[in-house]
Amino acid sequence: MNAFSSIKFTQEKVVVLVAITTFVIFSIFLTGFFSTSNLIGLVRNVSVLGILGVGMGIVIIGRGVDLSVVSILAISAAYFIELLNAGVPMWSSFVIVLGLVLLVGAISGFLIAYAEVPPIFTTLAMGLFVYGFGRSQLMGQDVAYISDEYISVLDLGTIKFAGVPMEVFVFAGVCFVAMLFLRYTKYGRYTYFMGDNNLAARNIGVPVRPMIILQYILSALFSAVAGAIVAGTLLSMNTRIVNSTLLYDVILIVVLGGIGLSGGKGGIRNVIFGALLIGILLNGMTILDLEDTHQNLIKALILLGVIIIDTSINQRDEQTEKQGDI
Amino acid sequence: MKIYEAISKARYNYVPDHILGELLTKRWADNVVPLLFLLLTIAVLANLIPGFLSPQSMSDSGRQLGEFLIIVCGVSIVMIAGGIDLSVGSIYAICALLAVAVVNLLQWPIPAAFAVSVLIGATFGLLNGLLIGYLKLRAFLTTLITFVIGRAIYDILLDQLGTPIQLTYVDSPLWDFIGDGSVGQIPVSLLFTAVVLVSAHVFISRSRPGWHISAIGGSRRSAFNTGINVKKVVCLTYVISGASCGIAGFLFGARLNGTGPGTGIGLEILVLTACVVGGISLGGGRGSIVKGMLGGLIVLTINNSLIRMGYHSGTNQMVLGLMLAFAVILDIRWLRNRHKVLDKVYVAPVYTSMNPALSALPESGTPYALNSKLSDTELIGAGEIEGPEDVILDEHDHLYCGTRHGDIMRFFAPEYKESEIYVHIGGFPLGLAFGKDKSLNICVGAMGLYSVAQDGTITQLSAETTRSYLSVVDDARLRDPNDLDIGSDGNIYFTDSTTRYDAHEWATDSVENRPTGRVLVYDPKTGKTKTLLRGLSYPNGVCMANDGESFFFAESWECRVNRFWYRGIKEGKMECVIRDMPGYPDNINRASDGNFWMAWLGMRTPTFDLMLKRPATRRRMTRRLPKDDWLFPNINTGGVVKFDENGNIIETLGDLGGKNHPMVTSMREHKGYLYIGGILNNRIGRLKLQGADANWTGISSYWGDNA
Amino acid sequence: MFSYKKLLRLLAVVTTLIFSSTTFAQVDPGPELARKALEGKRVVLMPMAMGFDLAQGWNYYIGKEVNSWGGIFETRDPNWSVEAGAQALTDVIASKPDIIIVHNPDLRSYVKLYKRAQKAGIYVIQIDNRSAYNTEAFIGSNWETLGELEATAALNFCGEGTSGKIGLIQGEQVNASSIDQYNGIMNIVSKHDHLTIASKPYSGWDATKAQAVTTTMLQQHPDMCAIIDFWDGTATGTAAAIRAAGKTGEIALITTGGGEEVDCKMLNDGTIDAIVSTEIPKQSAAVNAVIKFLLQSGVPAGEMVTFNYTDETITTKDDIYPGYCWSLQRNAAKTTW
Repeated sequence: MNAFSSIKFTQEKVVVLVAITTFVIFSIFLTGFFSTSNLIGLVRNVSVLGILGVGMGIVIIGRGVDLSVVSILAISAAYFIELLNAGVPMWSSFVIVLGLVLLVGAISGFLIAYAEVPPIFTTLAMGLFVYGFGRSQLMGQDVAYISDEYISVLDLGTIKFAGVPMEVFVFAGVCFVAMLFLRYTKYGRYTYFMGDNNLAARNIGVPVRPMIILQYILSALFSAVAGAIVAGTLLSMNTRIVNSTLLYDVILIVVLGGIGLSGGKGGIRNVIFGALLIGILLNGMTILDLEDTHQNLIKALILLGVIIIDTSINQRDEQTEKQGDI
Repeated sequence: MKIYEAISKARYNYVPDHILGELLTKRWADNVVPLLFLLLTIAVLANLIPGFLSPQSMSDSGRQLGEFLIIVCGVSIVMIAGGIDLSVGSIYAICALLAVAVVNLLQWPIPAAFAVSVLIGATFGLLNGLLIGYLKLRAFLTTLITFVIGRAIYDILLDQLGTPIQLTYVDSPLWDFIGDGSVGQIPVSLLFTAVVLVSAHVFISRSRPGWHISAIGGSRRSAFNTGINVKKVVCLTYVISGASCGIAGFLFGARLNGTGPGTGIGLEILVLTACVVGGISLGGGRGSIVKGMLGGLIVLTINNSLIRMGYHSGTNQMVLGLMLAFAVILDIRWLRNRHKVLDKVYVAPVYTSMNPALSALPESGTPYALNSKLSDTELIGAGEIEGPEDVILDEHDHLYCGTRHGDIMRFFAPEYKESEIYVHIGGFPLGLAFGKDKSLNICVGAMGLYSVAQDGTITQLSAETTRSYLSVVDDARLRDPNDLDIGSDGNIYFTDSTTRYDAHEWATDSVENRPTGRVLVYDPKTGKTKTLLRGLSYPNGVCMANDGESFFFAESWECRVNRFWYRGIKEGKMECVIRDMPGYPDNINRASDGNFWMAWLGMRTPTFDLMLKRPATRRRMTRRLPKDDWLFPNINTGGVVKFDENGNIIETLGDLGGKNHPMVTSMREHKGYLYIGGILNNRIGRLKLQGADANWTGISSYWGDNA
Repeated sequence: MFSYKKLLRLLAVVTTLIFSSTTFAQVDPGPELARKALEGKRVVLMPMAMGFDLAQGWNYYIGKEVNSWGGIFETRDPNWSVEAGAQALTDVIASKPDIIIVHNPDLRSYVKLYKRAQKAGIYVIQIDNRSAYNTEAFIGSNWETLGELEATAALNFCGEGTSGKIGLIQGEQVNASSIDQYNGIMNIVSKHDHLTIASKPYSGWDATKAQAVTTTMLQQHPDMCAIIDFWDGTATGTAAAIRAAGKTGEIALITTGGGEEVDCKMLNDGTIDAIVSTEIPKQSAAVNAVIKFLLQSGVPAGEMVTFNYTDETITTKDDIYPGYCWSLQRNAAKTTW
């Protein structure tokens, strides 16, 4: 970590700088951007992305990646609704879904840790399978709607505290829990060790394999939390969300924020920065009423700029490069 | 023979266990799993879907398959170099749209549309390549972003071009032919694909840039350090991938003459799955076009068939996910355990029954009785050389020997104290023989037959013989050229001791005891090498008889010496001259009295003889014990035997205390002295021969005094 | 000359006349002719995906009827993938059914395949979304008219004296139904000076994104009087944003959908205020009629072009009654054919 902090100009700082610049520009030139309610709305809009980002961040710090988050988000919430609609009591449904989510995370982790399958493929396969199985075997349609009898209980979208919507609190809570985990538990430290140098971590006695399982379970769990929020605000769950670019956005905010894909670097702070940058951009461009295609183009170009700046500041060296990194 | 042994012989000598190990050594063996899976898939689907294998159905699937395979091919190349390309779907869509636009809006000729499509694809690939190759961005993240950029560009273009394209209709027979036409039953796009795949295969496996790509994937750092322009080559792979998307996009455009918002979405997942199912490793180093092709066939066939069977949404993804997980796990396990399996399976011992031999015990009184005459040799180069398998002397009495470092050492007469590296060849130089032109001919283990002219120039005479059709291992290659001699016809007769092991694994060959050795002849006039005899049990030393028509050669593991006539009235005939010796024979050379010297590299033991009758035991031993604990033939006691043309044993020399020459692999008589070499020794011995002709040299014996 | 031959012929004619007239009098040939023309005919439905209300509705209503007259009804599910759809359609054409019913993902992707199908003698019915090529029949909404209706519905909530600000949650920039709806809405808006389009972001047909853009939009324009969402699938997201902003009842939400139970539910609980429904049972009935017509018409494939626009109406909470909407669940329970 010392070597890391000695680099003067990190990606994190680039992102913060870009975020602040755009924020200032939007505040000056966009009427209605710099208002408390708009800023709360801005954070609310990226809260789901942020929650997924936290789970993804933990996995990436441990030198993995989880491509199954969106599938888990969609199917866990949708299956929960399907169970309710089929007359299963709420708590039983909750336990069943929670159990399945943990199982999915554990299986991914197991395959990565014990079968030594690269995480990118394990979770890609898991994502495909979870969506495919859930969509074809567990539900009849793309969308699961919460039925009337449960709406009053599950309508989370209208819950507010001091004018701040519930999603923001959940996002903050998830960040806080993850921060505690990474900073103040030995398992958090282990995660950094593993990301930094897996072999060395193993040699000093870190239970590397169980730790990997733990990381993917956490990621699956956070995905399910995000799913609950989506379903709770929309009162339905559309499984087509897996076809959207949400997954790519999650990876982008995490990596953009400064959690390098090669692991061991960054923290929850970086996820928040990444999410805020995307939030500011999306919010500003929506206010500008830009066409969606141009929004995507601008967003992607800014991301590209950020990683180009980062790479040119922190040059990769041919001699110290780890083989097989992609 | 006991029944048990008969069964054992039938089991181990006639069931070709060794084939399995040999198959596993093949690089293409990796492809067997996906290939079998593909065949299984097709078999199952052909049963489930009526008309699945009908020409019409195949031709229809072929069109889409063609485009997909071209992209898989491009991504395979990127992955072989250790990268990944997620932007293919976007590039593909852009190229397809532009091809359609060029044909319909600009009304350009079709080849121009093709050029535009490929060029745009390559340009987009170049963007990836510059970012990843030159700016060294991470491939995964970069192509993820360029995927989003490409998609946005595509949507903007579609917004602009979509409506005008709808309003035009172009009537181009060529365009329709590419899209819908067939040559025979084969769709045009599949022909395109065939051309692309074959060129890509040749490019990757037979061209310099292709090797560079594989090298970078195998070890980026080493490739960089050997001077490969890593940046350029990495960049090139993305350009190729982009261009392949261009070709595929063009074909898509021709097939449907239009694109929509959904074109190319989700393609990257399918392509990635295809590559992995085919067995291309993530992170580079292992992969081929064939692998990508197999994976592509499997994935697309299953994908389309599930839709065709009318399955529910999501079934596809479920199957795809399962397949991907299964393929990767299998691939990882296979990769990790392949060499272990190979180690265990490769050695496939056979049953051999050794006849009892005359005793070689000193007090036995047999002609083989060993003594300690070799204990008192003068030592030459002790501690300076390692592994002088053979020794030879030239007309100036200088002494030559090979070493395990791949050098030919020369010791200067008369003291033999000073030495130099005469030449460096590499490999493990074994048998030596002077030719008529005084060039030194050498059997180099693991390399082939070489010749060193008097001025020191090295020529490779032969490294291969004709390939036999039914052999799984490449038996054209000379793996263990062991000893040679030059016949009166000027041809070089030499032995290649085994086709199953490399030169340094000769001891493992003895444990397996499978006769796969050969006697070969190299004809200097034609430069061709032919196989004379095959199926020999570790053929070793070769020495010309005095009749100018035949030569003796030793079969080490059978402990016998054969004589083979290469010309004259008995041409092509082989006779066994000495059988059932108590030692394992090695090199044979002429003696001054018209007889022959033969080295014993080691002595038979009752235990190992018994082991040879117990192939199952040996197999268990090779599978369960580390190599250090294996039971090998005894090579701690060797000797030198003199025999006459009829195979009568005249004299035996030994080193019972193992003081100087515990094992002997060669000896050479020269001017009244016998020079002794051993493959595991670090010295050459020199023994004064009582009553030998003090002027006799090997060279004059072969080529006359004036030669 | 009165020959023997002529007499015979006369006799034959007379007997035929007698017999035929008697059969004519007793049996209507219609059912028999229809049966002959229809029995064993194969109809394949390929929507963009099977897993949403429209597709499920067509599947039920069309499938039920095709089976009732002894036809063979099949579906293909490309699950929103155009590539997979194109391949599936190619395979379907190769298997030579009699009629293909396709739900277009866009204007152009399947055009060439339609020509190919017609060449192979297969009738092509396009449903819901049009394409750039006109086949035997198009049955579905005129999306422009639909857009006009949506705007008209919005007019009810944005009369004189309101802000007149309307927000649009569009689908995709490159989608025909999205573009046509927009044009229709603009036709009406341009005729009313007090109406303005305050903001028109895109949802990408994703409810989560609809929610996000609506949240932002409401921050900018809290005085909006109506929002038109281009699809009821994303309206859940838009509604959630309105609900979260506490504007339910103040800002009207107008959308379009297939008239399934969910639509009625959303009207009832005030999630949406008006819907322009394409009424799937009605649309399917039209499809069924066209199928039967085509199979009996004897017109070779590719020689006829018809358009059958579904008659749409604005539905509000006041119009509906229990059972007004069709229900996927009820249909599923009845699926015994």
